[in-house]
Amino acid sequence: MSENNEHHSAGSLQLVSRSTYVKENLLKAVFFMCAFVFVLAVALIFIFVGWKALPIVTEYGLGKFITGTVWSSSTGQFGILPLIIGSFIVTLGALALGTPLAVGTAVFLSDVASPKVRSFVRPAVELLAGVPSVVYGFFGIILLRAIVAKFSGTLGFGAFTAWIVLAIMIVPTIAVLSEDALRSIPEGIREASYAMGATQWQTIYKVVVPAAKIGIIDAIILGMGRAIGETMAVLMVVGNAPVFPAGIFAPLSTMTTQIVMDMPYAVGLHRTALFAMAAMLFIFSMFLVATVRLLSRLRN
Amino acid sequence: MAVSLLMVGGCGRSQGRTDQITVSGSTTILPIAEQAAELFTQKDPSSSILVSGLGSSAGIEAVSAGTAQVGTSSRDLKEEEKSLGLVDTPIAYDGIAVIVSPKNPVSGLTVEQLQNVFAGVITNWSELGGADRHIELVNRDEASGTREAFKKIVMGDIPFDPRAAVLPGTGQVRDVVARAPGAIGYISLGFVKPRFTNVTVKALKVDGVTPSEKTVGDQTYPIGRRLHFLTKGEPTGLAKAYIDFVLSDTIQKGVVVDAGFIPVAEGGAR
Repeated sequence: MSENNEHHSAGSLQLVSRSTYVKENLLKAVFFMCAFVFVLAVALIFIFVGWKALPIVTEYGLGKFITGTVWSSSTGQFGILPLIIGSFIVTLGALALGTPLAVGTAVFLSDVASPKVRSFVRPAVELLAGVPSVVYGFFGIILLRAIVAKFSGTLGFGAFTAWIVLAIMIVPTIAVLSEDALRSIPEGIREASYAMGATQWQTIYKVVVPAAKIGIIDAIILGMGRAIGETMAVLMVVGNAPVFPAGIFAPLSTMTTQIVMDMPYAVGLHRTALFAMAAMLFIFSMFLVATVRLLSRLRN
Repeated sequence: MAVSLLMVGGCGRSQGRTDQITVSGSTTILPIAEQAAELFTQKDPSSSILVSGLGSSAGIEAVSAGTAQVGTSSRDLKEEEKSLGLVDTPIAYDGIAVIVSPKNPVSGLTVEQLQNVFAGVITNWSELGGADRHIELVNRDEASGTREAFKKIVMGDIPFDPRAAVLPGTGQVRDVVARAPGAIGYISLGFVKPRFTNVTVKALKVDGVTPSEKTVGDQTYPIGRRLHFLTKGEPTGLAKAYIDFVLSDTIQKGVVVDAGFIPVAEGGAR
């Protein structure tokens, strides 16, 4: 033991005690392990999903899988185009509904609200971000679906209901992150704008929001990630029909919901197709993360 | 294919004489057969009843080949199977009701109309004598046994309309159809009457027959099936004791009803 210690202190000047030195290195190793285990887990999941999905490429054909328009396990047809379209209809609609609301909330919190108002609005928004998605789904299927069914004269399952449920779910995420972006704009910039004779509204939409633009886009992309991956809440309100929907009140299905619906009984190529769909979702989220990284590099 | 094997009672029991039979066949009947076997061997520990679910056709083949003493089937015997010398004992009935909202004026459809509705050929209630309203189809997920039976009896080889909403449970189908005036769906007959809710649905007549335990039992209602126990010749010994136990009130009013089927005693004569 003591030899070992001398060996360490021989090379360089030791400024801390031996126990501190050991503790520091131990902590370094612990943190490295944490990160390593996590990265390893993600890598293993990706490899497993890819490996399970491979027969789709070799036996079924990737082109037929992605551009096929019929998803029917009983006839052995696994075309996921309606499901990809479904995922995007649901996600983009929710973003279109939720983004203005979220950015509005963020601007209100960062530039309009008094500290007192902010001190209870911000925790409320954060609380909404933490509510489990099944709660939103339950609310969606019991209350919202019934209301939509009444005024549309349909079953109430479909893109429209999903948009509302998802918008409510992603607004907190986008709002909190956008507010952080807006608050990171130095006070001096606002003061400069006021000094030029700009009103508060002019300052917000001509100076502050443009300056925080990239941060806000970041927030929207993260919201999109949540929306495209959301399963439980969407499953309960879309109606699960794997077709191109006839309208915003007609049943449709998304990639995530179809995986859950088919999982219990899928075997053989059908199961493989579900893994391939999971791989597609993996690729979509990697693409979103890459976009966020690229944008934050732009900001710096 | 789901294969479930259950050894009930004294498997590998060394002392004493054990009487053993094999019950093989339908996966639909599996829960009834297994639970009945379990209760039976609890009462009579010297017996052993081996239950497996491999499908109705496999059950019919096993019992006629003698590898099983009791074959179970959720379909009737085909013409070519009737010469095998099998004795058929119906043990329960399964009926599927087609349901609509109580506000829907349509009160009955034919099997052919139902087929066209669920295939997406007929899309408006006015074509069926109802109001000018789009038909909102409610289907079950493909893992559902009710869907399987409905498909077999009503649809035949015609595929379901893929635009239909697919819901993962009987309760959800019932709830959604009850509140939507244009909706149509199907559920097991046992769930038509409200049990834990005051939401009502209307069960349609099919080919002019109102679905009930009686009409399913005497097979005048078309969307129903019998669940059969088959034996090679009249049942004897342990096989007879087991079948009699399945037909007793303990199983009929307990296990059979819990599994969502209609007891034979209420459905009509054996």
